Amino acid sequence: MTTRAFQELQSLKQIVIKDAWPYSVGAVMLGLLNIVIFIYFASPWGVTTAFVFWGAWIYQLFGGHPETWSFFTLQPAMMESLKAGILVHSESIADIGLVVGAFLAAAAAAQFRIKKIKSARQVVGALSGGLLMGYGARLALGCNIGAYFSGIASMAANGWVFGICIFFGAYIGSKILVKYLM
Amino acid sequence: MAEISIDALGEACPIPLLKIQKKWPDLKTGDVLIINIDHSCALKNIPEWARKEGHNVEVEEVEEGVWDIYIEKTA
Repeated sequence: MTTRAFQELQSLKQIVIKDAWPYSVGAVMLGLLNIVIFIYFASPWGVTTAFVFWGAWIYQLFGGHPETWSFFTLQPAMMESLKAGILVHSESIADIGLVVGAFLAAAAAAQFRIKKIKSARQVVGALSGGLLMGYGARLALGCNIGAYFSGIASMAANGWVFGICIFFGAYIGSKILVKYLM
Repeated sequence: MAEISIDALGEACPIPLLKIQKKWPDLKTGDVLIINIDHSCALKNIPEWARKEGHNVEVEEVEEGVWDIYIEKTA
């Protein structure tokens, strides 16, 4: 290989694998991905509904009976997925793929590391934030992907309602962040 | 020409940038601020902010997934 070709390859590697992509490229990729998912799964992309199932399956392992919950009894399609298990649950598979993909991307860029916990405040913030977001995602019938991103892309009104509400939520959240985590 | 360091290892965005902005008024022209980060998104928004403000920025990858960002206050 000539020196020139090697340099070109190095700079290509730097741009594609190491550096962060521009937001516009990310936006286009997400749009394309949503089209692929919509064609393949016959439903828009979602992330957090799968966590309901993960919780339910774990609860079943410990002898619980989530199949009596109205979430499943009132929604026959959900009940069917609950009985079918994780291996044929497309949203769960997509979520696992997301984590594996993020790991591979970080590893390929040689940026993967186990981060240390900075403070007790960080732990409290992360756990309470996670609980609030999970609870909110259930109330809103989806998260920023299922309700917001997929909602707006599908011309669904709930996506816009989610967008307006998340604006106020993020405003309050950033005030809390500056006050307690700085 | 003072050097001020901020340890932001383990801090997620946007906290590293907010820490810089909080410290920034204490710096005089010519001073250099060094922030140690391990969140790749800070690698994007910190240089972006500093360059927009017209300051000199240099980034050094000190180990895998850990960077030092040097910002020189120009005015």
